[in-house]
Formats: sequence, structure tokens, C-alpha cells
Amino acid sequence: MTKVLPDPAKRAMLLTALYIAQEQYGSLTPDALERVSARLGISPAQVYETATFYSMFRTQPAGRYVLQVCEGLSCYLADGAENLAAYIQNKLHICPGETTTDGLFTLQMVQCLASCSSSPAMRVNDTLYENLTADRVDMLLDELRGG
Amino acid sequence: MANVNVVINGIAGSVPAGTTVLEAARQLHVDIPTLCDHPAIQPIGACRMCLVEIEKQRTLQPACTFPVSEGIVVKTDTPATMNARRFVLQLLFSERNHFCMFCQMSGSCELQTQAYKHGLDSWRYDRAFPVLPLDATRQYFIMDHNRCILCRRCIRACDQLVGNATLGLKHRGANTMIIADMDVPFGESSCISCGTCLQVCPTGALIDRASAYLGATAEVKRVKSTCTHCSIGCGTELVMRDDRVIRIEGDWTAEPNHGLICEMGRFQPLNDKRAPVTKPMVKEADGWHETSLQAALERVATNLKTGKVTTVVSGLATNEAAQIIAKRFPGAKQLMEGQAPAVTSSPLKDMDAADLFIVVNTDVAHEYPVASFAIKRSVHLRGARLYLVGDTGDSMQPWTSRSIQEAQIDALLPIIEGAQNPVIICGKKGEALAMKIAKVVTGIKIVDLAPAGNTMGLVQAGIRQQFSANGFDTCYILAAEAQDAPQELLEACAQAKFTAVQASYKQPWMDIAQVILPTPVSHLKCGTFVNFEGKTGVVNAAAACNANGEAQVLEQLANLL
Repeated sequence: MTKVLPDPAKRAMLLTALYIAQEQYGSLTPDALERVSARLGISPAQVYETATFYSMFRTQPAGRYVLQVCEGLSCYLADGAENLAAYIQNKLHICPGETTTDGLFTLQMVQCLASCSSSPAMRVNDTLYENLTADRVDMLLDELRGG
Repeated sequence: MANVNVVINGIAGSVPAGTTVLEAARQLHVDIPTLCDHPAIQPIGACRMCLVEIEKQRTLQPACTFPVSEGIVVKTDTPATMNARRFVLQLLFSERNHFCMFCQMSGSCELQTQAYKHGLDSWRYDRAFPVLPLDATRQYFIMDHNRCILCRRCIRACDQLVGNATLGLKHRGANTMIIADMDVPFGESSCISCGTCLQVCPTGALIDRASAYLGATAEVKRVKSTCTHCSIGCGTELVMRDDRVIRIEGDWTAEPNHGLICEMGRFQPLNDKRAPVTKPMVKEADGWHETSLQAALERVATNLKTGKVTTVVSGLATNEAAQIIAKRFPGAKQLMEGQAPAVTSSPLKDMDAADLFIVVNTDVAHEYPVASFAIKRSVHLRGARLYLVGDTGDSMQPWTSRSIQEAQIDALLPIIEGAQNPVIICGKKGEALAMKIAKVVTGIKIVDLAPAGNTMGLVQAGIRQQFSANGFDTCYILAAEAQDAPQELLEACAQAKFTAVQASYKQPWMDIAQVILPTPVSHLKCGTFVNFEGKTGVVNAAAACNANGEAQVLEQLANLL
């Protein structure tokens, strides 16, 4: 029997449930969202609402590695940061929001990653990389391609 | 709760602590402009139209969500508040495509009214001219995202009042859009077409197909009436222009529905495509002919005087019609849809205090939609549980904790006994089981809904028997606009020597009757009805009650008997 909880309690679990679903499914596919909706007893519209509001949730399939480049103020002002996104775009031939044809990399622009003191910063899946330069990006991408 | 002293625009008053500034202002008859606020739903402070100056607050505060405290001093009409509101309106008008002269809501629109009030005569900001879709996939109303100001009234009404939670938002900031379910076309969503969102929309974003461009607020009048399509008997408002009903809305002040009505009450009456009976009709050897009322009545009277008569009355008939039939017609008088509940029902308002609902053998979502709204919002917002027992249809499944068969009821009894405030919802088919549960669980409330809109009224008039196909050769049927006549009735009357039907629509009666008399559809009737709670509702017909009214035709017929 499904335990029915008052709405605020159900909603409190929603973010965590979406995070887990995204880990399992790769992205928040309609199937994943429907499972969250049924499991928590929250209407599909309200689940979709939350999933599309936060930039760390994806409703579209992404590459194996999601490159989240910070465009917050500190990273923006840091030496070379403005070029970081442009460098990745040129190197991988994708725009923000797109995935490489080999399905390996997705580029995404995000707000502050809480690394202002070590900007510019980029998050690759769950790992944070700081003090980035073009050389370090090259090394990182090569390493990811190899692994 | 204790009262606190407030001063709004220099007017002193005393209101309960916790009241919002907006409610307090309304009590003191101070007008604060609003857009996203609606008295029936929870405020969220989204539109910022109600910004006011509050002493000791650093910035302007939204009146709709700010609670009053002792000694609060509020000013609502200072230059700062007026500027802030004009700024809000300028932003709203520049965001999407608000061109009043082409909009069907022009003259009824709350956004337009505020713009006039605040002297907006030009756009201060460049407009974005976004290309936004229009969703016309729903049968009765259209969603035009261009007119939407994202006040979320529709979302909140669907969520908090109806409990259906079909509507939501997608994305954020300037990309925000109203969606249904997971961004599917509205017509393919879980929407149940109750139209509550349409009724609360302050702009032209939700458009009623039937009444679009037919009349703005100043051109229509509103007549309070009662919906008679099921035994809940919801209070409605008929929106009328030149004696024509263009739209039906829920009456926010009415018991027991508090503004909510369903597809049956709001849309179906004005979208009925069946061929109406406009004139009295008689069947001759060469087919059907229209005739005068007098000639038709005489033919009916002659037959009623000589035959063995049974009169069958639909629960859509008024008390006044039922009384004439009960007192002055010969022979048996019977109920078309079934008998009245054997249990004295608890009122609908008890459902909003329940922590456990047991729906027994009733498809509550289709037969009594407004009762199903109370279940849905209780499950959705208060965490109440819903058990379905027996034959209950599929529509309540997403709100259901458990579905069981009738035979398994014993296993459920300890759970029901453990609940603080259990309520059984049943109709005639679930009554026996409901009474069995009530024997074990003392004090359980039973909401026992009658089979048709005015069954209770017919019973009070003295028509108590269920229809039975035996013992008559002459049949008079007061069918009104009944959709699903029992097959048994149709067959028995087709066999009878003479059948007369008083109906709003021609079929299926033309196949079995010799005379058909007209009667107005429910929202054009005048008379009274009694709902399942025993409350008498007045059906105020828009048009005057003339000689062609339901009871008036019966009166003339009775005079000939």
C-alpha cells in the first residue's frame, strides 16, 4: 500500500527523487518523471515543473560527460574565463546545450559553482575542476576520451 | 484569534490577527488593486499589483500575503505605490502580446481594467513580440499563451479547489509557460473539463468557445440559478445577454459547491447537439406533425382519462411539475432514475474534514464530479486516504490508496474504525454496503447521493416508486432533457396503447411516443429543486416563466383531466 503523505512532505522529497532518477536514467525522460510522479503521489505537472525549473536537471538526453561551465561573475572576470566556453565550443564543435555527435560530451552554461576563489571553474558530471586554462582543458578532455 | 488594531489610509479598524493586509483593507472598504489574487484560492504574491506602503517596512510589501500585526499602519495610494503598480503593468504589457482591441476579453479583462485605472496610454518598454502558441485542442475552451500573465490562478484553482493538479509551469523566468501534465496538448491531458481555470482567468488567456465575443461584463447580466444535472445541486450563475444564456459559471457564494461546477453543469447544457423539441408534435398515420399546444394537450387528456395510466418522472423535473403530477394525474407515478436514498445523508461539507474516504459502488468522478473534487483536494492537500470498494470506475485511481472488491470489506473494517473522520460516499448501488459498514463503525458519516438531480424533490411531492414495466397501457413520461432513458421504460412504452412524452430533445422519444410536448432544458426552467442534502435550490430561468414552462404545460393538461 502506498503511504499517502500531506503535500508539503511529498514535495520535500521531490528534489532528491528527481536527482536519483536522473542518475539512474541519465536524464529525466518522461518515463523517469512518471515513475517519480507515481511513487511520490505528486501530479505529473508538478513533477515536470520542478524538473524544468532547475538547471541541474536535464529533461533531454545528455552525453556521457556533461561539461558545466560556470558563467558566474567571478569566473566571468577571471583571466581567460570568457574564452573558456568559446575554447570548448571550438574544440568540440558544439554550442551550449548541444552534445557531440559521438555522444561523449554535452556543453552547458551554468550559474555559480561556488568556486569563486579558484575561478574559472567547470563541473564534469559530479567532479569540480578549478583554475582552468586551455591546456588543462585539453588534458582533461583527452583523459576523458581515453577513459 | 485575538483582534489587532490596524490603520489603512487613515481609517482605523480591528481585524483578527493573521488577516492579510488585503483582507483587512477589504473589510475597511479600501480598494487595493490585484491581479493574481482570487478570494477562493491561496494568495502567492506573484503579480505585485497590490504593493502597499507599510510603516517600519523598508520596501513596499504585497498586501495579499502580508499578515497584519498590532498597530500596523498601511498606505495604499501614495505616489510610490502608484508608480510601482504602473511599473508592474508596463512590464506585464511589454512581456507578451496584449492587444486589447483584438481580444475577446476586452471589457471584461482585469488586466485591461487596471491599465485604464492606472492611466497606461502607451508602452514604456520595447515589446518582445514573442511567438507563442495557441492551444485549441480542448473541446470547450482555448488556451492563448499570448494573453497569459502567469498569475497562476488556473494552476492554483486546479490544484487547491479541484484537486486535479493537471496544470503547472515549465522552465523559468521569461521562458515560463503554463503546461498541462508533462507539457502535452491540453486536450490530451488529465484535464476533466470542469472549467474552473477558465472561470478564474483574469485575462483572455483562457477563452470559452461558446461565449467568446458574445458580450463583455457591461453587456451581460448574471442570474443566480441551480444546476440540476446531479443531486449535489450546485449554485450557478447564468451569464445572459438579451435573454440568451451565453455561459454558465459557478456561484462562489453558493452552498455546497462554493463556486465549483463540472463539465455537466458548465459546458454540456450549452453544447447539446441533440435535436430540440420546439413545438408540440403528434404522430399521425403519415408521420410526425407539429401542432398547437391545445390540440396536443386535448389528445393526451383523452387518452389519460380512458387508459390505465402510469406517469414516469425524470429527476430533471421541477418540484412544481412533480406536485401537479402527484396531485392531479391519474394512475401510478414513478421515478425514472431510481429511488431516493434510504439514509439521511451527511452534507457535502463534511467531506472537507474527512481523513478517510470510502467510495462504494459509485463512479463518483462521473456521476457526482463536484463530490469527487472534495475527495481529490483532500487527498492531494491534506493527505486523506481514499478506498474504492466494488464497481467505482477508473477515474479516481491516481488518488486511491487501495481498491478492493465488495467481498473483501471485512478486512477493511479495522482500518475504517481506526480513522478519525471516515466518510462513505455512495449512491443507491452502494447503500446496502454502506449501511453494513455503519453498523460496525458507529458514527461514520455517509454521503448518500440521489440518483438524479431532483429525486429528493419528487419524493417530497409524493412520487416514491421505482419505475416498473407492468400494469399500464397508457404512459406519460416527463423526461425533460434526460439522456439515458432506461431500456426497460422505452420497451414498455413502445408496447403501450398510448405514450406521451414531455421532453426537451426529440430522441429517443420519437420512436416510442404518439405525442411529444416541449419542455425547457434545465437552465431555462423556472422552479425549485431539492438536492441530496434536502436543501431547496431555485432555478431561475433566464426567460420569464411563460405558458410553455414545464409546470405551466402540466397545469393546462391537468385542467383538461
